[in-house]
Amino acid sequence: MRRTDGELIMLWALPAIAIIWVSAFVLFPGFLHPMSPTMSAEEVASFYRDETARIRYSMILFNWFGVGLIPTVILLAMQVRRMAHRTPIMSYCLIACAGGPPTLFLIANMFWLLGGFRPERAPELTQLLNDLAWVTFTVLVPYLIAQCLLLALAIYWDRQDKPVFPTWVAHFNLLIAIALVPAAFGALALNGPFAWDGVLSFWVKNIAIAVWIVVMGVVLGQTIRRRRAETAVAA
Amino acid sequence: MTTSTEGTSVSDTPPESRLGRFAWNCRHHPKRELWFAWWVMVVFYQLYGVLFFFVTRVQPPPSPAWDTPMIVQWFDDRHDGLLVGFGIVFLISGMCAPMNALLAYSMRRMSVSRIFAYSYLIMYSLSAIPGMLVMAIAMTVGALRPDRDPELIHWLYDFAFLSFSGTMGVFLVGSVVWLVAILLDKNNVFPKWFAYLGLCNALTEVVVAPAWIFQRGAFAWNGAIAWWINMVVFVTYTAVFIVLLRRMIEREDFGTGPLPDLPDKRESASAGSVGVLR
Amino acid sequence: MTEVAQPQLEETRSRFVPGQPDMWLFVLFEALLFTGYFSVYLVSRTQNQDLYLQSQADLDLRVGVFNTIVLLSSSWAIARCVRAAREGVYPAALRYAFVTVGFGVVFVISKVAEWIHEIGMGNTFTSDEFFQHYFFLTSLHCIHVLIGFIVMGVVIYQLRSPARRSQQLVETGATYWHTVDFLWVLIFAMLYVVR
Repeated sequence: MRRTDGELIMLWALPAIAIIWVSAFVLFPGFLHPMSPTMSAEEVASFYRDETARIRYSMILFNWFGVGLIPTVILLAMQVRRMAHRTPIMSYCLIACAGGPPTLFLIANMFWLLGGFRPERAPELTQLLNDLAWVTFTVLVPYLIAQCLLLALAIYWDRQDKPVFPTWVAHFNLLIAIALVPAAFGALALNGPFAWDGVLSFWVKNIAIAVWIVVMGVVLGQTIRRRRAETAVAA
Repeated sequence: MTTSTEGTSVSDTPPESRLGRFAWNCRHHPKRELWFAWWVMVVFYQLYGVLFFFVTRVQPPPSPAWDTPMIVQWFDDRHDGLLVGFGIVFLISGMCAPMNALLAYSMRRMSVSRIFAYSYLIMYSLSAIPGMLVMAIAMTVGALRPDRDPELIHWLYDFAFLSFSGTMGVFLVGSVVWLVAILLDKNNVFPKWFAYLGLCNALTEVVVAPAWIFQRGAFAWNGAIAWWINMVVFVTYTAVFIVLLRRMIEREDFGTGPLPDLPDKRESASAGSVGVLR
Repeated sequence: MTEVAQPQLEETRSRFVPGQPDMWLFVLFEALLFTGYFSVYLVSRTQNQDLYLQSQADLDLRVGVFNTIVLLSSSWAIARCVRAAREGVYPAALRYAFVTVGFGVVFVISKVAEWIHEIGMGNTFTSDEFFQHYFFLTSLHCIHVLIGFIVMGVVIYQLRSPARRSQQLVETGATYWHTVDFLWVLIFAMLYVVR
């Protein structure tokens, strides 16, 4: 008998995490509207000097809950394990992808916090830390793209009478993966849609991640609930 | 080996054309997950070589002993290559996941405890972050603003190359986990000499650590011992395990216990086995 | 079909080569690797002959000779151990295995003492090129000796109980130990003797 106690708690943690993330996102003064890469060192330094409190508290909040998505990805990996595959490889792939995005995000988070720690330092140093933070935050997509593609592939290969996830979930993941691609090139330009404050690298990427979290959360919830109903009936 | 796994009626033999066969394999081959992971691994290593050696030209590494103007010049020469090349790296790094999954699976097939497979999976999943992505980020930020203070560019240069070369500990311990699993394995998934080759590889990774100490000489991050010999051993080791994994997949019978040997070449031709992805 | 043929094949293989054939591949890999390291040493030596000669004078040849004798004795001990195991005299084999480890421990202690002495004289890993190579080669070799202790542990574990006692594993362990000894002789020749 599979042990399922606590799964729903982990699942319900997801909306709680989402609310905290959105709050932190709004609290950080550099996200709405996103800071421009073309800001001079002086402008960056004065940003960190003027908005120190909001920078620190929002980033601390992110720091606490940076890994909040991992239980959800693991729940997904567990669903993949139930699919009609010959080997556990696809679920291993998802587990391998799970740790990457939070780690990269926490590195970006650290650079922002460092920038806000001594706002009176030389402007070039603050600009360097700001650059490191923004670049890391923007380009942290590789594992998310892989996660979406691998999940889509796993679903396409899950050929049984009652597949674990409906096929549209696979198509959806493909779409999200494509939406995340431009952000990988977020450092190529200092302005325009590809720059880290641009439409593609900032808005499309972050909205795609948000939509993915919401949709997958709902799909996961439905799947787990259905499974629990099935096992309850069988028992 | 020729029948598919679903209940629906499906043709047993693949169609004649190459493309048709490929499509048939993707849909019906029983080992498609394993072959998928293997091909992702092969493609990833090719891309890695091309991106790091030819597009970004960060390998072979420049010297830590250069002075600041030379380093700024180095960044200038490579400005576009660095940004584009590492942009592609940021796109494809996720390809490491199927690769690590395949290796972890090889350990699941062995007679040893699952701890080896799971430990390896976690170790190598996180190894790419200090060992490759941090370097990519540092180099990208270095190339981002050519008018940045040269001292800061120098720091980013150090940061990039030291994080690339100096974080071999993860790979070292990961290799040791794999080689101990191979030595203890009774199912003969890999030959024992491969475990010893892994030990050689692990030792050459130990040897890179002095890169944190020296700015010139054989032990600097571009030195004869810390880079060149290490790279030769690593490339050999990688080529060998790619071939061995291919043979493992060919031998795989999805059972338990010892892995069967590859059939004799003449035997396999007459059995008409399912076409392997080519 | 393969299961029945397999043990026979392994037996014929073990008659050609003592111990696991795979271990000999390891010897080959290590030999190639150390050849690489020695080449680097020799090339950088030719570029800086005076410095190397001067630094080498700080090394005590007697200590090197002592280390060589200790390791050669340990090789003798493991060879006797293999012979005893082949003849089935396991208590003697076990004793020789312990003697081997004993010599190995003496070697490690002597090496560490020498390192402490050199560092006390001001010759550290970072002080000059010769000592870079000296500390590198000797500590890499020492790591091999420590791995050798693990290997000897496996050999002793095998010899202990009548349920195990795989001759092949004992011979494999002996092959590894001889390799470690052989590498030391080369290092001794290059670092201590060649002036």
